[in-house]
Amino acid sequence: MDLPWELRRRGFKDSLRHDQRVKDAIRKNLRELIAEEAIITSDGRKTVKIPVRYLDQYRFKYGQPQPGVGQGPGQPGEILSRGTGADRGMRHGPGEQPGEATYEVEVPLADITQMMLEDLALPWLEEKPERQIRTASHQYTDIRRRGPLANLDKRRTLFNNIKRNAARGVPEIGDLQDADLRFKVWDDHEEAHANAAIYMLMDRSGSMTTGKKYVAKSFFFWMVRFLRHKYRQVETVFIAHDIDAQVVPEQDFFALSNSGGTKCSSAYQLALEHQQQHYPARSWNIYLFHFSDGDNWPEDNPACQARVTALLDLCTMVGYGEIRYDGDDIGFYGWPPQIEPLPSSLQSALQGIAHPRLCIVTLSHKDDVYQALQTFLQPRESTHV
Amino acid sequence: MFDARVGELEVLAREQGLDFFPTSFEVVPADIMTEMAAYGLPTRARHWSYGKVYQSQRLYGVMGLSKIYEIVLNNNPSLAFLLDTNTEIANLLVAAHVFAHVDFFTHNLLFANTNRNMINDAVAHALRIDAYSDRYGLEPVEHLMDIGLALDRHIDPYKGLERQPYPERHVVEKERPTLPYDDLFDRPAPSVTYEVKGTKLPPHPERDLLWFLCTYAPLDDWQRDTLQIIREESYYFYPQFCSKILNEGWASYWHAELFHHYSNVTPDEMIEFARLHASVVQPGGRASINPYFLGYRILVDIETRWDQMHAAGETPMTGRDKLFEVRQMEDDVSFLRNYLTTELVEELELFAYGSRCRHPPGQHCPRCQDIIITSRERDAVLNALLTPRYNYGAPHIVVQDVVNNALYLEHLDRATTFLDRRYAYQTLAYVAELWKHPVHVLTHNEEGKDLYLSAESP
Repeated sequence: MDLPWELRRRGFKDSLRHDQRVKDAIRKNLRELIAEEAIITSDGRKTVKIPVRYLDQYRFKYGQPQPGVGQGPGQPGEILSRGTGADRGMRHGPGEQPGEATYEVEVPLADITQMMLEDLALPWLEEKPERQIRTASHQYTDIRRRGPLANLDKRRTLFNNIKRNAARGVPEIGDLQDADLRFKVWDDHEEAHANAAIYMLMDRSGSMTTGKKYVAKSFFFWMVRFLRHKYRQVETVFIAHDIDAQVVPEQDFFALSNSGGTKCSSAYQLALEHQQQHYPARSWNIYLFHFSDGDNWPEDNPACQARVTALLDLCTMVGYGEIRYDGDDIGFYGWPPQIEPLPSSLQSALQGIAHPRLCIVTLSHKDDVYQALQTFLQPRESTHV
Repeated sequence: MFDARVGELEVLAREQGLDFFPTSFEVVPADIMTEMAAYGLPTRARHWSYGKVYQSQRLYGVMGLSKIYEIVLNNNPSLAFLLDTNTEIANLLVAAHVFAHVDFFTHNLLFANTNRNMINDAVAHALRIDAYSDRYGLEPVEHLMDIGLALDRHIDPYKGLERQPYPERHVVEKERPTLPYDDLFDRPAPSVTYEVKGTKLPPHPERDLLWFLCTYAPLDDWQRDTLQIIREESYYFYPQFCSKILNEGWASYWHAELFHHYSNVTPDEMIEFARLHASVVQPGGRASINPYFLGYRILVDIETRWDQMHAAGETPMTGRDKLFEVRQMEDDVSFLRNYLTTELVEELELFAYGSRCRHPPGQHCPRCQDIIITSRERDAVLNALLTPRYNYGAPHIVVQDVVNNALYLEHLDRATTFLDRRYAYQTLAYVAELWKHPVHVLTHNEEGKDLYLSAESP
């Protein structure tokens, strides 16, 4: 066919455009992706494959399953399909919509981290006498004759060109040669910041179901990533507790199984002792984040309250996240079942402590992890309380 | 060899009574075929959604899960595409099939007002939209097309593509009628009453949302043109949506019929033909209907019955005469209503299926997700077949009123259907974006009570 070139091979171009839009959508929907299993279990791979649905096109459409016609034997009342999404295509009538098609997009993990953690920072970070945390930045400090074209210093290049021409008696721009080119060169620049030690406490008691633990783990996963990404040197301490608390290595922390009762004060106590031994408050900014389902042994609550009050005197910030989410039980229309339980005993005990640097967050859905990160890590001014 | 045999088939088809536009065939690779199927036309204004279809279709094709045998375009002259990897006999079958499709386009009354030059017009549309993208940026044009495509099923096929705006506000003078013999009495002179017409916008519930927005929303010329392009192409595809079963049945009937009369094939080829034909008209899955199968079986049934009636002297029409009448007069809805008989429903073992629960459409319970056979009665099967074929497969939504610039839509079939909320809000937001004032739609809530969903203009 005699077609203008720009009208050919549209399918390919438009499918690239679709991919582009999917990536934009990922950017916009990080809060949903953040707890995506593929990302959290990526194990340091450079890219993750995220299963995404093909982008929706909105239109007025029916929200209830449409009737359809099939064929074969069977009496009225016989069940054709049952349960959740076993044969989604069937719900939409014959051949009208092909069910929920998904495909995989490959996204560099670094990109996602970057997009997510951009606006976060450790709050109330103070200068302490001995500095250890360092951040890296680049600064253009020098000019050279060779370098990547992207770093071309245009002003100096033109200036040199004029100088060279003027030396020949023609003071104007023209006859650009390699000898005129000047490139900017950068140096790595390290900046020292205040010291920080982060305590991460996780409840590993029997009541922490897989779903709940998953939320806690994804929070800590992003927390660790955030710290490594933004601050080159922070000390991290992982504490897991049921009735007793232990300091555990990082890799064990993310692979803990659960059992036993809950006594949160044990973890606070251990954190207090550990902190006094290793990170004295006068030279360290201490942050403590604790995740639990709040199902604490009631007699233990006063002890918790006392320990947290003690910790608040030493720590720059104490964060407590209570997880109400339990598995991914989504209703037929995509609405999660509505559960609004009352604040559990530990949360109400902690809420009794009115302290500006005590942050309490409730997570009732795995999407709330993003919200928790935002709440805990909003950059805040360092003013004395 | 292939061209010669296609020529022979064409002569045979015309001898048998098919009458179609000149049809040319292009043999193309699978990729082009996929692209054509995704776009619906060889060249069309680009949009990412076609790319999405292309991508998934291509994946299915590469994995060997689906194969597109033929694409034929309603155009004069007509254009059909065949797959280059097909055997010659497969492509001959497809060619015979295509002649019947084109005959259907030529004679079925649904297609009488379709644009027979759409292939070229769509190229012009594509160039215009490309020009808009260059001038106003890809994103705004793409976004506007998102909106247009969200509404493209809300057209009014009965009012047609070309429409004038509603009459302007005007005053109709009416003289009070003078009764006979009035002059004999002392009566006042006949007085004049005035009636104001054209005050309500729209004067009647308006189905064609795209036309209404194009005509009455504050849009720029390029926006109006873009929406009109989408609307025009939607009108072009509407008859094809309405006649899928009949059209495919008709084409399947004729490829079988033509090969019944066609002798220039080897026995090997004939066996391959039979195998292919059987796979084309095989029943669908347990919970889906193959339109080729259903249409073909109904047509064969019609022919048999009318031949019998003709032989018994009950009707002057032979089976073949009747088929030609059906091909001209019916769309899927009337075709199924008139000719899907109780006996045929039993013979084909059709059943209607649906959700197990019986509560109002908006509510949901665990049993909603269980799909059961609801009935084997002919009427229930018919209803289940027809439901997705009404109103371009979209909920019935009309413009009802404009009050203080706010646009009021009404979901007319709200008593029996339930709008997907997330989609409805997004679509309303789209409409509000064009209307530039709030938009409301009257629908039902989960309990079956009236409820307005609203969107503010951004």
